[in-house]
Amino acid sequence: MSDTTVYRRIVRRETHSSRSGLAVVLALLLAVAFAWLGTEAVLAAVGSAPLLLAPADLVGAVLGAAAGPVGLVTAVAVVVALVGLVLVVLALAPGRKGRRGSAEGRSAVVVDDRVIARSLARTAATAGDLGQDQVSVSVGGRRATVEVTELDGRTADAHAVERAVAAELDGYRFGPSLTANVRTKKGRVTS
Amino acid sequence: MNDTNRAVNRLFVLVVGLVMLLGGGVVAVGALLPDVQTAVSDGAEQATGPTTDALSGGLPWVLWVSALAALVLVVLFVALVVRQGGGRTGTLLRVPSKGSGSGVGGDVVVETKTAAAAIEAALKEDDAFVSSSVGTWRVKGTTVLRVAVDVRKGVSPRDAHGRIDQVVAAWDEVLGEKVPVVVQLDGGLRSQLSNGVGRTE
Repeated sequence: MSDTTVYRRIVRRETHSSRSGLAVVLALLLAVAFAWLGTEAVLAAVGSAPLLLAPADLVGAVLGAAAGPVGLVTAVAVVVALVGLVLVVLALAPGRKGRRGSAEGRSAVVVDDRVIARSLARTAATAGDLGQDQVSVSVGGRRATVEVTELDGRTADAHAVERAVAAELDGYRFGPSLTANVRTKKGRVTS
Repeated sequence: MNDTNRAVNRLFVLVVGLVMLLGGGVVAVGALLPDVQTAVSDGAEQATGPTTDALSGGLPWVLWVSALAALVLVVLFVALVVRQGGGRTGTLLRVPSKGSGSGVGGDVVVETKTAAAAIEAALKEDDAFVSSSVGTWRVKGTTVLRVAVDVRKGVSPRDAHGRIDQVVAAWDEVLGEKVPVVVQLDGGLRSQLSNGVGRTE
């Protein structure tokens, strides 16, 4: 396997969730539930008293609920179905982790979006001769939003900021690539 | 970075989700579709008698089979939990000895610690990084060296990657072989709390 193939795989793994937390929680809950059901089945088979509920009563109750649904049962069923729907969506959604990567060159690289945001903020502050608290950057999806706060009636050079940020982004080889969006607003720095 | 089997995780979540969706849906659908509701009710009503009889001790083997099935499922779920993560190794490189006839025998093994010490020391010199940690992982049969760093606030990720590549190039020279390397540029708490670059405040 060539390095690039390995690198692509690693970048993919590092930028998308493995869903291991969710899988572990579900597996543990189900393990406890089935351990209990198994125990009840054995107890019923040897004729001992059940821990909580004998299998026959349990199945009878569930089937009874299905046979004559009343408000509460329907509500519970709806909740169960909705949780199931959420799980299906989570299983199929890409689950991006707020990171970007590149599989080219000597080493593969995975960058936290926050690193990119802080780098862009510094670039913008330097280009526009602004204080660092006048610039706030958020990075998400394919967009980097740079928000410049103008103070004391001084207008910021939005074009210079835009050029500098675009140049910085142009130097990146990380995917998914980003497009900058610079906005200015007047006001005080609140933070 | 680890060797978790992601496909299995997602498949598992998908199956559990579908079972809940269908199970909940069948019961809940009665409120909306009376025809379907009647069919479900009749089926459940007819099934109640035989199944409760069987589970009450009428057919003991049913209970034993259920218990066995439950046990198998519990083992599978626990296996899924235990299978998460992993893949970390302590060996970066193993060069097998060539031929048994030569006077000098034995494999050459390069431990991860050797690489970690060299690379971390070099990165410590660099002001662009707050901290670094180096480890090796086996991912799908390939040993990969991972260099994870907390980047100082405001440092360009391109610049940071370039600097690490220089350190990696120096390490390649030492090792005499190029192992796959993945660089991770983190922006967590340590990065956030670090002093920024390029500006004195």
